[in-house]
Amino acid sequence: MSAVVDFPVKPEARPYLEAFARSASARDRHEPDWLAGYRQGSLARFAELGFPSRRSEAWRYIDLRRLEQRSMLPAPAERAVVDAAAHDQIAEIGLAEPAYRIVLVDGRFVPELSTFDGLPAGVWLGSMAAAIAERPDLVRSRLETAPIDASRPFTALNAAFFTDGFALDIAPGTILEQPLEILHLASGDTADSLHTRSLVVVGEGSHASVIESFAGVGEYWRNDVIELRLAAEAALARIALVEEAPHALHFGEMLATLGAASHLAGFVLLLGGRTVRHEATVRSEGERSRCELDGAFLLSGRQETNILTTVDHYAPGGETREIFKGVAAGQSHGAFQGRITVRPGAQKVDAHQLSQNLVLSPRAAIDTKPELEIFADDVKCSHGAAVGDLDEAALFYLRARGISNEEARRMLIEAFVREAVERVASPPLREHLLSRVARRLTTLEE
Amino acid sequence: MAAMLEIKNLHARLTDGREILRGIDLSVNAGEVHAIMGPNGSGKSTLAAVLAGRTGYEVSEGTVNYIGRDLLAMEADERAREGLFLAFQYPVEIPGVNNMYFLRTAVNAQRRHRGEPELDAGQFLRVVRSKLKLLDIREDLLQRAVNVGFSGGEKKRNEVFQMAMLEPRLAILDETDSGLDIDALKIVAHGVNQQRAPDRSIVLITHYQRLLNYVEPDRVHVLQAGRIVQSGDKTLALELERRGYGVVEDAA
Repeated sequence: MSAVVDFPVKPEARPYLEAFARSASARDRHEPDWLAGYRQGSLARFAELGFPSRRSEAWRYIDLRRLEQRSMLPAPAERAVVDAAAHDQIAEIGLAEPAYRIVLVDGRFVPELSTFDGLPAGVWLGSMAAAIAERPDLVRSRLETAPIDASRPFTALNAAFFTDGFALDIAPGTILEQPLEILHLASGDTADSLHTRSLVVVGEGSHASVIESFAGVGEYWRNDVIELRLAAEAALARIALVEEAPHALHFGEMLATLGAASHLAGFVLLLGGRTVRHEATVRSEGERSRCELDGAFLLSGRQETNILTTVDHYAPGGETREIFKGVAAGQSHGAFQGRITVRPGAQKVDAHQLSQNLVLSPRAAIDTKPELEIFADDVKCSHGAAVGDLDEAALFYLRARGISNEEARRMLIEAFVREAVERVASPPLREHLLSRVARRLTTLEE
Repeated sequence: MAAMLEIKNLHARLTDGREILRGIDLSVNAGEVHAIMGPNGSGKSTLAAVLAGRTGYEVSEGTVNYIGRDLLAMEADERAREGLFLAFQYPVEIPGVNNMYFLRTAVNAQRRHRGEPELDAGQFLRVVRSKLKLLDIREDLLQRAVNVGFSGGEKKRNEVFQMAMLEPRLAILDETDSGLDIDALKIVAHGVNQQRAPDRSIVLITHYQRLLNYVEPDRVHVLQAGRIVQSGDKTLALELERRGYGVVEDAA
């Protein structure tokens, strides 16, 4: 079967076009016309762009050969598979007592595993599918205006195929005290791609925190996109914990727009998955916004991970703080690319970025590439980057007290990563993340 | 009396080939306190480092027998679990590692090694409190990262506190007195004296006689150019203080 189209199509995109055509009738029954048009337009964009070139800066550290050799088409399942594995994954990586939880399995909302009773007035929370049906005012314009350029072909693919996700809309002046937990699970039922799309809109002066955890079994490709919109004086903490299956691919994209005096605290902890790419793009549009982006990755075996951050200051008085910690053992490879841009007129911006990395074995490697682009003259911007090994003096000190070499190394690696994790403001979320780090460390240097 | 530590003809050099220890002979019995004195560069700290198992040194000749075992064949952490303790001349700052957590990990590693049950947080805290008094250490220091933000004196007291917690068979104190004012010196000396025991040996490495006013040694050795050139009882330390190391060198 071959889809008939009137736009240029890259060869690697063709199977995806065909899959789109096959599922069109089922989709059209459920979805509004505007969404069908949006999907069609996004698909055409993807077809034209194809896969990113490894020569492009944004994709040079990610090996796309697996996707090139075999198309990982969107999961065809109409319903999520909820089996014992899903419950195991929830028990393993979920919060002990989440106040509000949304569970997505294979990219689809699972109401029976989700709970969000007792949300305060002014908070709308639901699956993306529900938001499309009930809140087109919330989602339509945001979806249609998300940036898709040559460096983001998979964002276009996501737009064409996303099955679900979550949407959170917080009215002005509303404080959501308890964190909201989103669990993205994969059943292992398919060797396909899972596309999820989410949206968080935080009204003026409102506060919220969201932790999204990604886990699964089997071989799959997850392509997740989330957009965050912070109104003036809004505060949002968004945490991504990535513990995908050992053979999984994970591309996560976060797009954020900051209003005046708003505060975004983004944190990412990348622990599991064969190939993991996390990209955060922040537009600081309002004056005196504060953007914290922090995170860590711990890699072993043949894992590869790439963190990319772009913070673009369009308005004066903004502040950016970044601390990223990378740890690579075995034959793994990690890369950090961090760009901070200060546009003309964005005076008094204060930005600092730090990328510190530990390479634990001779066959592991970490690349770090900080970049400042400054077009205003009255700013304070700096960055630091380092790649090294564990401190021999500290290691000897611990061993001289009877602590084994393996345990001493774990303690020092944990301490190294802890500095980034401690930037997470919520004590229970911080503890949860530290416990995941501790668990990862038990197998890191095997 | 059985020797706790028996060093015979120990030669050691740095990885760049410079020989620092040039034939050390030393025997320390259980329950004894030995002082090793000597000028800067005589090899005192190298001896401590080689005994504790620090990397960066090569033993080219000689043997070290510790509680009947070949000490040099053991890894640094195994030596510690077998009861050898080094109080560092320059305690290492370890950001991000909580002092209390570090110490409990160390104590439990040693207890496991001896086949004893591990201490839980509550049991551990009780032991900690009883030993803290000994060294006049504020409990809040233990909630900080290891040695981070400690004053020089606090670092040294923390070393002796760790010794009290780990209850070693053989403690080597590498210039624990250096940089201490007289009050801190008395506290540290008191802490060491409290830990003298018939089944524990202590080796005090020091540049000055001052510490020995408060911790009275059974034997005093003078180390010079990588060899022990003179040994005697505690009066030797006083004599050195009066005459300086140069005279000993001439006599040797």
